[in-house]
Amino acid sequence: MRNNNHLLSVPVLVGALLMAGVSAVQAAPNTFNTALPVAQGQTIWREQFVLRERSDNGPMDRQVSVQALGSVLGYGVTSKFAVFGMVPYFFNKELDVTTPMGRVERDTSGFGDISLFGRYTLYKKDYTGSTFRVAPVVGLTAPTGDDNDSDRFGELPRPLQAGDGAWDVFGAVVTTYQTLQYQVDGQLLYRENGRHDGFARGDETRFDASLQYRIWPRSMKGVPGTPSFVYALLESNVIHRERDDLGSGTDADSGGTQWLLAPGLQYVSRSWIVEGTVQLPVAEDSNGDAIEDDYIVRVGFRRNF
Amino acid sequence: MLTKLYVLLSALIFSIAVLAADNQYVLGVDGLACPFCAYGIEKRLNKVDGVTDVQVDVGESLVRVTLQEGKTLTEERARQAVDEAGFTLRSYSEAGGETGGGDAK
Repeated sequence: MRNNNHLLSVPVLVGALLMAGVSAVQAAPNTFNTALPVAQGQTIWREQFVLRERSDNGPMDRQVSVQALGSVLGYGVTSKFAVFGMVPYFFNKELDVTTPMGRVERDTSGFGDISLFGRYTLYKKDYTGSTFRVAPVVGLTAPTGDDNDSDRFGELPRPLQAGDGAWDVFGAVVTTYQTLQYQVDGQLLYRENGRHDGFARGDETRFDASLQYRIWPRSMKGVPGTPSFVYALLESNVIHRERDDLGSGTDADSGGTQWLLAPGLQYVSRSWIVEGTVQLPVAEDSNGDAIEDDYIVRVGFRRNF
Repeated sequence: MLTKLYVLLSALIFSIAVLAADNQYVLGVDGLACPFCAYGIEKRLNKVDGVTDVQVDVGESLVRVTLQEGKTLTEERARQAVDEAGFTLRSYSEAGGETGGGDAK
């Protein structure tokens, strides 16, 4: 079962969910953060369902399927400082792999590790009908998820556990330029993953970019009040992960660099956002036999209070 | 006599209605560029004492605020509410243009 240790999908998904959780405000990108404000005293609730499929073409024919729900609450402490809490729930995390015993299926479910983070608007320049903002984000992930689940084959491999048992920290800088017609977001993030019981997921660096373009109403001329918008989205995620620490060394078949593109749609009203994207791998440069993404579907909503 | 009384009563009712008319203000808000943003401004302005209605016009970057009779919205209070929502007050005027109307910057 050596290759069970190469189940990179779970930590990557958790990381992706965390970043999705950061983007809990305004007409934000679907896969990462935005710098748009949360009003003082305003609460935002977000749910995002994630379906992620991964596989490899090696002799073990590994296939990984993850179905998870990321739940986020955000609160505006001041107009510049907002705090967020995010918890993933894994309906199912399943590995199918060919072994000397034949085809084996291993799975788990349950709550994952909770993340708490804060975002501060460091710079903003408002214009009539547009805004430009820069906001750093700092947060941590607590080891609240189960990290020692087992099945009839024994304890599940660490990456397949709902939690990784370690404290992680992350920091990012997000920029947003929003007009009535379109919105551009960019994020540079670094995530340092802690070590627990001889295992640490590889640290992660990612650069994300997003373009949202209003396709409805096609023109704002003569449109009074607060109409709902429909945006077409195109998001890009370049993610580099170091190799996982395993015992006294590193796992040669873990980590690497991948580039994902995500087209999608977003419906935005005064109080609701309903959105969906499909992340597709454009390029993957994985270390060794690390498993790779096939696709990631994200569907969810956000609600203002 | 009855006609005179009717006219007098009508005039009285009209006068009371005029006196009881709500106060309305128009705020120009910079940085406002999507529907979801509008909610935060509504929330902060609705916390102002006497506010009965807030209408946001996203396309024009304007916010119309209605207050109860006898209540007023000062420029400072309007600026504070807009700031708390994370945006910038560009202009402030009383509806009808009798007062204010200046650039708020």
